[in-house]
Amino acid sequence: MNRIVRWFHQLGSPPVFDRFAARWTPWCLGIGAVLMALGLWQALFVVPADYQQGDSFRILYIHVPSAWMSLFVFALMAAYSAIALIWRIKLCEILAMACAPIGAAFTLITLLTGSIWGKPMWGAWWDWDPRLTTELILLFLYLGVIGLYQAIDDRRSAARAAGLLAIVGVALLPVIRYSVDWWNSLHQGQSIRLLGESSIDASMLLPLWLMVAATKFWFAGSLLLRARADNLRREAGKDWVGRQAGVEEGA
Amino acid sequence: MSYLGYVVAAYAVFFIVLLWDVLAARWQVRRALRQARAKRQRPRGRAAADVELVR
Repeated sequence: MNRIVRWFHQLGSPPVFDRFAARWTPWCLGIGAVLMALGLWQALFVVPADYQQGDSFRILYIHVPSAWMSLFVFALMAAYSAIALIWRIKLCEILAMACAPIGAAFTLITLLTGSIWGKPMWGAWWDWDPRLTTELILLFLYLGVIGLYQAIDDRRSAARAAGLLAIVGVALLPVIRYSVDWWNSLHQGQSIRLLGESSIDASMLLPLWLMVAATKFWFAGSLLLRARADNLRREAGKDWVGRQAGVEEGA
Repeated sequence: MSYLGYVVAAYAVFFIVLLWDVLAARWQVRRALRQARAKRQRPRGRAAADVELVR
C-alpha cells in the first residue's frame, strides 16, 4: 500500500490521531501567532493610512481574513460531513463538528469588526444589507450545527444530523460570495483577487496575505485541539486514554 | 477625525474571540484527560477498600 494512503488510514485510529494532534497543535498555533504578529505589525505600523478612510481601513486586515475563514471553514465542515456520511469515518465526524465553533468564532469576528468599521464609514453599526444579512444567517447556521450536535445524546447520530445541516447549508456560501453582485449592496464589491489584479494598492497587500496565512494556521491548531478533546471524550474509558492521561500527568 | 478607538475596539474583538476559542478548546482537552485519570484511579481505590473490609 502507498505510504501516504497507509498513514492516512492509520490516522483514522483514535490513539494515533490523539498523538498526532498533541504533537502538531503547538506548531500550528505557534506559526499562526508568529505570522499574526508580523502581519499586525505591518498592518498597524508600516502600511500608510488610506487617503479616504484614514486609519479605519486597518480594520480590513482582521475583517477580510476572518470573513474568508468563515466561508472556508463552513465548506470544510460540509466536506468532512459528506465524507463521514458516505464512508462512515469517525474521525471525519469529529473534525466536522470541531470546525463549527471555530467557524462561528470567525463569523462573529467578521460581523463585529465589520460593524465597528461601518459606524464611522457608513454612519451605522448595522444595515440589513444582503452581504451582512447572509453572513448573519451563516452565524445562525453554525450555531444550529453546534446546537444539534449537543442536543442528541448519541455522538454518532448527533454528528450525522448536524453534518446533514452543514451539507445543506453550503448552498448559502455562493449567495454570500455573490450577494454584492446580485443585489444593490452597501457593502463594497470584490477588491482583492487571488487570480488577477487587485484594485487595492500592492503596498497594502503584504499584511493581508500574512494575516490570511496566520488565520489558516491558527485554525489548524484550534481544529486539532477541539478534535482531540472530542476524540478523548468519545473514547473515555478505553485503556489508551487512561495511559495518555497518565503520560500527560507525568510530563 | 481619529479612528483610533474603532481600530482598537476591532483588534480587541479579534484577539478576545480567537483567544477564547483556543483556551476553551484547551480546557476541554484538560478536562477529558482529568476525567480519564480519575476513572483510571477509581478501581484501585475500590480494591483498597475491599482489603480493609476483608481484614
